[in-house]
Amino acid sequence: MGDRDLALAAHLMRRAGFGASRGELETLAARPYEDVVGDLLRPERFPEVEEDLVDRYYGWDSFHGPPARWIYRMVNTRRPLQEKMSLFWHHVFATAFFKSEHVASLNRQLQMFQRVGMSDMRTILLELSRDPAMIYWLDNNENVSGEPNENYGRELLELFSMGAGNYTEDDVKMAARAFTGWTFAQPIPLYPHGHYDARFEYRPEEHDDSVKTFLGETGRFDGGDIIDIIVRQPATAAFIARHLYNFFVADEPQVPAWPIEPPRDPEAIRILVGAYLDSDGDMRTVLNAMFTSDFFKEAQFRRVKSPAELVTGVLNLVETHRTPEPGIGVYQAAVTAMGQELLNPPTVEGWHTGKEWIDGGALSERVNFAVNEVGDGSKPGIQAIVRRVSESGSELSPEEFMSVCLSLVGPLTVGDETRAALMAYAESQGPLRFHTEADEEASARRIVRMVQLIVSSMEYQFA
Amino acid sequence: MTRPYALLRAGFPYLKTVGMRRVVDFPVDVAVTRDMRVFALCRFEGLAGSAKIARVAWEDDANLGDISSTGSGEGQVTWPVQMLLDRGGNLVVSDEALHRITFITTEGEFVGMWGAHGSGDGELDRPSGIAFDADENLYVVDTMNHRVQKLTKDGRFILKWGTFGDGPGQFDMPWGIAVDELGDVYVSDWRNDRVQKFTAEGEFIFELGSSGSGDGQLDRPAGVTVDGDGDIYVADSGNDRVLLFNADGRYVEKFIGDATLSISGRAYMLANAKPLRLRDMADIEPQKRLRSPRSVRVDGEGRMFIPDYGSFRVQVYQKDAVPLSEEEIIAMPRSPTLQVT
Repeated sequence: MGDRDLALAAHLMRRAGFGASRGELETLAARPYEDVVGDLLRPERFPEVEEDLVDRYYGWDSFHGPPARWIYRMVNTRRPLQEKMSLFWHHVFATAFFKSEHVASLNRQLQMFQRVGMSDMRTILLELSRDPAMIYWLDNNENVSGEPNENYGRELLELFSMGAGNYTEDDVKMAARAFTGWTFAQPIPLYPHGHYDARFEYRPEEHDDSVKTFLGETGRFDGGDIIDIIVRQPATAAFIARHLYNFFVADEPQVPAWPIEPPRDPEAIRILVGAYLDSDGDMRTVLNAMFTSDFFKEAQFRRVKSPAELVTGVLNLVETHRTPEPGIGVYQAAVTAMGQELLNPPTVEGWHTGKEWIDGGALSERVNFAVNEVGDGSKPGIQAIVRRVSESGSELSPEEFMSVCLSLVGPLTVGDETRAALMAYAESQGPLRFHTEADEEASARRIVRMVQLIVSSMEYQFA
Repeated sequence: MTRPYALLRAGFPYLKTVGMRRVVDFPVDVAVTRDMRVFALCRFEGLAGSAKIARVAWEDDANLGDISSTGSGEGQVTWPVQMLLDRGGNLVVSDEALHRITFITTEGEFVGMWGAHGSGDGELDRPSGIAFDADENLYVVDTMNHRVQKLTKDGRFILKWGTFGDGPGQFDMPWGIAVDELGDVYVSDWRNDRVQKFTAEGEFIFELGSSGSGDGQLDRPAGVTVDGDGDIYVADSGNDRVLLFNADGRYVEKFIGDATLSISGRAYMLANAKPLRLRDMADIEPQKRLRSPRSVRVDGEGRMFIPDYGSFRVQVYQKDAVPLSEEEIIAMPRSPTLQVT
């Protein structure tokens, strides 16, 4: 196992998961890369997060519970890609709390992403179209025969599948008519005894059963038929491929620019589109093509971490919250302060990603968060780093001290400016020594400080 | 007080519902004073305050105001699990985040606390269930040490039993505990989906329950209590119900929830036109049902109080059973029979 294997394993786990501890990375790096990808694509091989434990200690909550529990799942899941794909679909099918304030249905939507997020595009869009949180978010509960509401039909085409420029206004109208009558049964209201789940309801008396022409095909279409047609479109393959590339590989321009700005790597998109079309939109096939490609392996540190990735990555570095502990809500608050309030995206477009994650306020939130978390030398992950540094020699030169810390935190590749700053700190107190107990204590403090400097670097902001 | 030889179980009807959202928020346990004030121990993992003790009047459901608050200071709670009244009328609360037992008055004044995190004698790792014996010694379920400890009321170690496992006398993250009038101890063995009965010194007597959702089966049992007839009540949280077993551990019946609107809930609804209509449009069957009850308590009047965790209320039932002497009922036959006269 070389450093390159370790770096590639770390890259894969940052992208297909939420980071991993050094010990976990070493185990993964010792295995064939394709086998590791194979395991990620088959989450059913691994146990679920222990929901009974989460229920016992975190319990239920009004709004903050589900996103905080989700962060716990991200950190503790043994099925990281399943959870990462849930986050991916939450980005693409952005549905927010602020409109409905209905926690139960948002929670149900998240569970739906966890359940079908790695299946095929037809299943995913069908489940989405029957999802009460989405139906309410885009007003399909008001979409009835004779008085169609086009909101869902429009966004299904523009933001959820094909992208602008690949369909006509008539197609939007026909899609909307096909989804008339797709609604939900009225749930019991919040007061006085709490939320009750909403469930999908099809009302034939509100459905427009007339003949429709959609994307050149004609028939007595309902929503399911519309989805069948959508998922066969090369435009859908290209749109989802670009979303996957932006989320998993490298930052793309924001979605509204896609009709006018070509993909950063057209060949990569071509490979993903081919995998999609060859497999009838099977997500595992597309993800496998992506994670095993050269363009993915070569894309290390070419994406800005989303706030959720930054926070969960730090938690995996410090190795806390491996079982439920008080205070998980702090991490939900941290992600929110960095500009990503989970289950409450700003609009149906979702969050703007890439460099748009970073402004002055968000950057200081990100840096302060990471520096505070790693600054506690009692945390298991930090203790492990100190131990590993001390095991690499009884006396380390400043260069060795810096290099081993960069390796243990990432492995992280840094530019000249960061390297110079880290070296200046490493050299400021001479070699790192472990000869005496006093040496060990002083060196442990220096290692913690070095890790703090590393996580406050520009490079650490990239996945 | 002696136990009846047997019971004629006439019924166990639903009596009333206490509390509503914003008053009784995610209740995990309940205690009722002699003057019929209902104290609901509330806990949820929010960003701001996450625990409190709500007080509600039994007669008119009036909100009497919260006591205690979230934190680690004197009288505060962080992850409270169970709550008792002691003989002096003070509240006793276990806290599995702070690894301690806190005593406060019913007005919220701090009385005392003890507990240290660890695995030594008298130390605690996530204390959950608590129950007094007749001498006011406190049995504490020491969840992450997979054991039960008996301590004096001021926290001095007396005895312990239990190790991790699924054999008799072993536990896997136990939760609730109860002591009957004879001194025997009942422990809900959460991850083993069973309740074990022990002598006061921790000798295994029997176990009831198995994993599942059938009659008499359990899915992560939380609180447990015993009444003066020896009946055993188990908060079967994962199955959203409470199960009743007789003193021998034989399954008797289940309670799945029959809630009606509390007085405060009714007043809220009548003052709010939109929720009134939405409720009118909805299938309200699910609103009767219990959601993840984490405790169950009975009082001397045969009333059963179930903190209905997911539904912001306490559901109350009334036991109706006639005690029978040996002369009034035949002895237990060896086998069932179809001949009834």
